[in-house]
Amino acid sequence: MNDLTRKKGVFSRRGDMSTVVLISVAFAVLVVLIQLISGLVNDGRMSYPSFISPLNLLNILMQVAGTGILVMGMTSVMIAGGIDLSVGMMVSMVGIFVAKGIKDWGIDPAPAILLGILIAVAAEAMMGFIISRLNVESFIITLGGMIAFRGIALLMCRSQEVTLSQNLEFFKFNLIEGAKAGGLSLTLPIYVIIFFLMTAVFWALLKYTKYGRRVYAVGSNPQAAYLSGINVKSIQLITYIINGLCVGIGGVLMLARVNVGTINLGQNLEIDVIAAVVIGGVAMSGGKGSPMGSFIGVILMGAIANAMNIMRIQSEWQFFVKGLIIIVAVAGGELSSRIAARRQLKKM
Amino acid sequence: MQDAVFRLKNISKTFPGVRALSHIDFDLIPGEIHCICGENGAGKSTLIKIISGAYQPDAGGTIEFEGKACSLTPHSAMTLGIQTIYQEHTVFPDLSVTENIFAGLEVAHGGVISRKEMRAKTEEVLAYLHCGLNPDDNVGKLSSGQKKMVEIAKALVFRRKIVILDEPTSSFSASEIDMLLDVVKKVASTGLAIAYISHHLDEVFRIADRITVLRDGQKIITCPIDEIDEAQLIRDMVGRDASAFYSREYFEPGEAALEARNLTGNGVKDISFTVRRGEIVGFAGMVGSGRSELMTLLMGGAPKKSGAIFIFGEKANLKKPSDAIRHKMCYITEDRQNTGLFLKHSIARNTIAANLVNMKKTFISPREDVRIADEYIKKLGTKARNSHMLAMNLSGGNQQKVVLAKWFNTNGEIFIFDEPTRGIDVGAKQEIYQIMMGLLKQNKAVIMVSSDMPEVISMSDRVIVMKNGCIQGEIDRQDISEENILQYSIGGSKQ
Repeated sequence: MNDLTRKKGVFSRRGDMSTVVLISVAFAVLVVLIQLISGLVNDGRMSYPSFISPLNLLNILMQVAGTGILVMGMTSVMIAGGIDLSVGMMVSMVGIFVAKGIKDWGIDPAPAILLGILIAVAAEAMMGFIISRLNVESFIITLGGMIAFRGIALLMCRSQEVTLSQNLEFFKFNLIEGAKAGGLSLTLPIYVIIFFLMTAVFWALLKYTKYGRRVYAVGSNPQAAYLSGINVKSIQLITYIINGLCVGIGGVLMLARVNVGTINLGQNLEIDVIAAVVIGGVAMSGGKGSPMGSFIGVILMGAIANAMNIMRIQSEWQFFVKGLIIIVAVAGGELSSRIAARRQLKKM
Repeated sequence: MQDAVFRLKNISKTFPGVRALSHIDFDLIPGEIHCICGENGAGKSTLIKIISGAYQPDAGGTIEFEGKACSLTPHSAMTLGIQTIYQEHTVFPDLSVTENIFAGLEVAHGGVISRKEMRAKTEEVLAYLHCGLNPDDNVGKLSSGQKKMVEIAKALVFRRKIVILDEPTSSFSASEIDMLLDVVKKVASTGLAIAYISHHLDEVFRIADRITVLRDGQKIITCPIDEIDEAQLIRDMVGRDASAFYSREYFEPGEAALEARNLTGNGVKDISFTVRRGEIVGFAGMVGSGRSELMTLLMGGAPKKSGAIFIFGEKANLKKPSDAIRHKMCYITEDRQNTGLFLKHSIARNTIAANLVNMKKTFISPREDVRIADEYIKKLGTKARNSHMLAMNLSGGNQQKVVLAKWFNTNGEIFIFDEPTRGIDVGAKQEIYQIMMGLLKQNKAVIMVSSDMPEVISMSDRVIVMKNGCIQGEIDRQDISEENILQYSIGGSKQ
């Protein structure tokens, strides 16, 4: 079995995730360096709130948790070769529905949340059905969905904000109440744990189940998948339904975090979600990537935004840097997989 | 006889590992229809591509146009007046006949397109051809025969000197063929030289002035049509050294594994045949005769209109490929890259893909995939560093072995091979043949579609020949020969 020995490494079979890992490491090193230098300049005293303090690291997790859950759903949709532009507006729709339901329509929080999630699942199932059965471009159908959901959301709230009183506090329950670091009390809300759990579930689903294999196969080559006995249409449909579940849960958690049901809840969110997924190594053409890569991708995006805030870099620059990272990640990913391919061939 | 307008002298074309054409002389005389005949892979397409400038010949040959030596690119060929009409339509379906003819070559005065002038020219040519087309017809609504007319009309409008027609009548109805042949004759009578490639010998004998026969990249003969008959033509097209053939062992066939009864659908009509355990049934025929379509139909990849499939004596209702896989059928498709493999995925992922249907469990460990894939790499002798290697980084023969592993892993009993050795080098070919013999030893049933004549002849227990979506004849082992196969696949008569 010597000739079949397994070899792991950044540039071999983990090529999908290598770029995002490299960028993350580079970013972490950069941040630590900047903090050390700025510390020295200021006579050994930190001038900014430290990026690597436990408080701030938890903050980053809180900021990305909601987006992160959507990222998981999008990862499976995109690995199967689709895309969903409607997730942002669907988050707004779910958020406004739940807020309105609890505040104005007299629904109890638990059924309101459940209904909100069901609405997202139903909407995604509808779009997924059209996309898979009629074999039409997911880009177009979900673009239509995005615009329509925006309309529904605005109609429900009459274009106004819906402010909740403490109805969804449960999701913010602090699991480490009383824990302190450097004199500051730390919080680890439940919704961060839900994000971690969802990541683990998706990782197992796509890596260790029959369904997961089929998702990859469909995204890589739908024709070959069909002839290999895979029901391409239902696999695609299921990815959208699962995505609906993620959007529903993510929407509720994002509402819980800000306590205000408004159209801004999911505004432009799809851009961040797709960006994180793509940075994490998922190919737009499908068949490639993993939930772990996307997980790192979303945390990296959040961390960069957070670091730039702490360093008081203007938001205009933040857009520039974010955009640059997407381009570097995807171009670099392609480059590293080519290098990997060449090395594999050389070693034969 | 007039001087040749176009002349190829000593033209060869080599691709990596293959000599597609060697030392070909070929010429075209104004006003003649020159037919090029040969089996699949004889070098006809390569020759056309050299005339149209798409391929550059190897050094040593010369191309002469109107007596002057020249080298051709697709663009320069066009400006010299050589028009190639390919088998597939290259028309714009949303434009009118006039707009199609003048697409990219619009007549304009001072930057303003002159519609009137273009329409008048089109009308003149269409009237001359008597083909019943109107300059304003929407091309998307025309039949495939009429679309071909539009392309031919273009040659007249622009006063081309040479027209190349590649298999113009595939997928035509009989009346359309008559009309097209008339039009081609009329076009030639205006003084154009026409190179006409066809698999249908009856057409060739109806319109040709001269015939050139190619075989395995060599020119066998060029002669006027009245100096050759159909039997002689077929004899010229076949004939090969013994070294091209593989010698195999034969086994006593067992029970019937797959039986098709009056199967119709997906472009094939009224197909009935039986494949037994321990035998290879070869499907021969020209490209486009409906063989792959039949295989897709057998696998449930296309809806059948009527007829039935019996597997091991029981009627099987195959609605989708997964049903066929559950019935122990395997389909090694013709186009590995597009319908067989997941190129971006590892060998391990590819190997387990088809067997997912048969797996009862929900959870699978990737380690198990690797174990299975490693086993097949050893068994089939796949040259790969390990089973994590991506399918796209393998050579053709090794990719084919990965596809085979994918199907062997389903524990199938009935194997359909569609062009099993296309694009595979000689050594790997022998290995694939040995693997197929191994299947027979295990008492499996094999169907093999192949356009490679030596392959069909040496590997098949029986050969079924298809033409135009129908079974034209069945040949038993002792009667299998190139002449017999060609007689059925391109000859005019059904015996």
